[in-house]
Amino acid sequence: MALRSTVVGSYPKPPEEGQQFVVRKTLHALEKGDKTVDDLKKAQDDLVRAVIGEEEAAGIDLITDGQGRWDDILTPFARNIAGFEIGGLLRWFDNNVYYRRPVAVGPLEWRGPTSVEAFTFASSVATKPVKAVLPGPVTFARLSQDEHFSDHEAFVLAIAGVLAQEAAELEAAGATVIQIDEPALLDAPEDLDLAKRAIAQITSELSSVETILATYFGDAKRLGAELFDIEVDGFGFDLVAGPENLELLSQVPDGKNVQVGLLDARNTKLETVDELTAAIEPLVEQFGADRLYISPSAGLEYLPREKARAKLDRLGEVVKKVGA
Amino acid sequence: MGKVELAGPGLWTTSVGSFPKPDYILKARSQFARGEIERSELQELEKQATREWIEFQNSIDTDLVVDGEQYRGDMVAFFAEELPGLEIGGLVRSYGNRYYRKPIATGPVGRDKPLTVDWWEYAQSLTDKPVKGMLTGPYTICDWSFNEHYATRRDYVLDLAKVIRDEALDLERAGARYIQIDEPAASTRMDELDLVIEAMAIVTEPLSAHTITHICYGDFHKAYPKMLEIPVDQIDLEFANSDYSLLDEFYDNPFTSFIGLGISDVHTHTLESVEEMAEGIRKSLKFIPPERMFVDPDCGLKTRTVDEAKEKLTNIKQAVDIVKAEL
Repeated sequence: MALRSTVVGSYPKPPEEGQQFVVRKTLHALEKGDKTVDDLKKAQDDLVRAVIGEEEAAGIDLITDGQGRWDDILTPFARNIAGFEIGGLLRWFDNNVYYRRPVAVGPLEWRGPTSVEAFTFASSVATKPVKAVLPGPVTFARLSQDEHFSDHEAFVLAIAGVLAQEAAELEAAGATVIQIDEPALLDAPEDLDLAKRAIAQITSELSSVETILATYFGDAKRLGAELFDIEVDGFGFDLVAGPENLELLSQVPDGKNVQVGLLDARNTKLETVDELTAAIEPLVEQFGADRLYISPSAGLEYLPREKARAKLDRLGEVVKKVGA
Repeated sequence: MGKVELAGPGLWTTSVGSFPKPDYILKARSQFARGEIERSELQELEKQATREWIEFQNSIDTDLVVDGEQYRGDMVAFFAEELPGLEIGGLVRSYGNRYYRKPIATGPVGRDKPLTVDWWEYAQSLTDKPVKGMLTGPYTICDWSFNEHYATRRDYVLDLAKVIRDEALDLERAGARYIQIDEPAASTRMDELDLVIEAMAIVTEPLSAHTITHICYGDFHKAYPKMLEIPVDQIDLEFANSDYSLLDEFYDNPFTSFIGLGISDVHTHTLESVEEMAEGIRKSLKFIPPERMFVDPDCGLKTRTVDEAKEKLTNIKQAVDIVKAEL
């Protein structure tokens, strides 16, 4: 298989300069009661179509829907799990971006799929395969407030149980690749053993889906090669915020895929073709093209739309060039 | 280092910086953005709104007044619009359905002229109380912008520090005795707290004014007590929105600076009662004496409505008066 490009998940919601920001306007109007939930859904459908159009035009091989319906990767799920309430604003890792913290107030119960309808819609408008993205159970728990379990392990495993049902539904809906995001695991080596059990709970429900454990915003140095004991088919790393991940890459076991984030998803400065080529070529040598995905360092929502698009275009261009 | 020259036993009232913009400003700003009105027309309205906010603070006898930042879009964009080396970038999301234009450093950052002195002089002409000079700190401007020019964040932050120092010196020359250099981003990365301290030292070293910094939205429990090393006379913190949990830290590591005690949550429509606020001050007085305490809302009030902001400030003043009478 040829070298492939992918994205990590999110994409900017604002349009390019000078165009109407329909999603934002519709949300404002919805608050005032001037628009309906259906109007919002239509605006979001249009956004997803546009995002997928940009990803495909750039030549990205494995795309996402850009998460245009979500504020972050946690709250859409938390709103749909009995036992969670939504709390106050907190900083999203080290970004000037804030999310509403889920608060566990009772036993967790899956109320039905959260992401399946969006996945089905994205697949129906895309010509490339669409990667589904789920929050990892450790990240979910660590970024939430627990007022019910008072036991971190029980909380993480309860979340994993709910996410396992979501993952199974995604597979039933036709998902061939599911990415599980665990950025918070980077700072929580003490949770690594728990992560193994929790993620196994999710992936053991799946029969033929390719799974990727994605980390970003830092390096996995503190986790070490033990990270690779987690039962997934591949691992994702941010080489921009965590250049030391390069060392860990040499320890990826045979048979596991790697997703390597080389374009800075949090700065507008555009990487050159030459510097990217120089970074990718040794990786191809090391892993072989068929085990390797090249991606931005994280979701692209941290950039203005034009800049995100420029990163996508550059990613597609370089992967095509190196892969040829 | 500066000193506080205000009368009374302490427990002075102030505000963190921004106040909500009345509807006529919001309307005029979008008209100006569409090219429908001149800058001078917008500026007249901004002066009117500034005057109204100063009059309000005079009416509740605020000890240390702010101009309310009616002429600033947001605390980083305002500087980015004016400083050579910085450009206004595209829209990025902050949270929920809220977006801002994130600046981009495209060249060496410098300063052609003072940015805030005219507004400070105007505000000071409207009150007998001292008006705070209000600046955004170098670390926060760096952290809340893209960097296409500097090789390292440190290079970028230290250049910004010189720019903000020059602005602070101009404010001081104009007569400002209280200068606040906000660093809400300071508690984002513990491994860069030393850089925050290094940059603030550049800003405050030549100043004789009483210096203040405001820090919010972070993991205080990790940043404390290290944050006391930031070279300012006063640190302003949010207490109400965490139910005063930060006070627990002061058992082991006493708070040694002047404090700005935030006693009203700015991200909720709920109005804390006067008694609730008074209780918050009493709790805090166990750790910090009144002569080192200013009392204010948790953060800038710009996301509240004009009425909500006035109610919060009025209750703060009443709570302070009650506790002062008990001293």
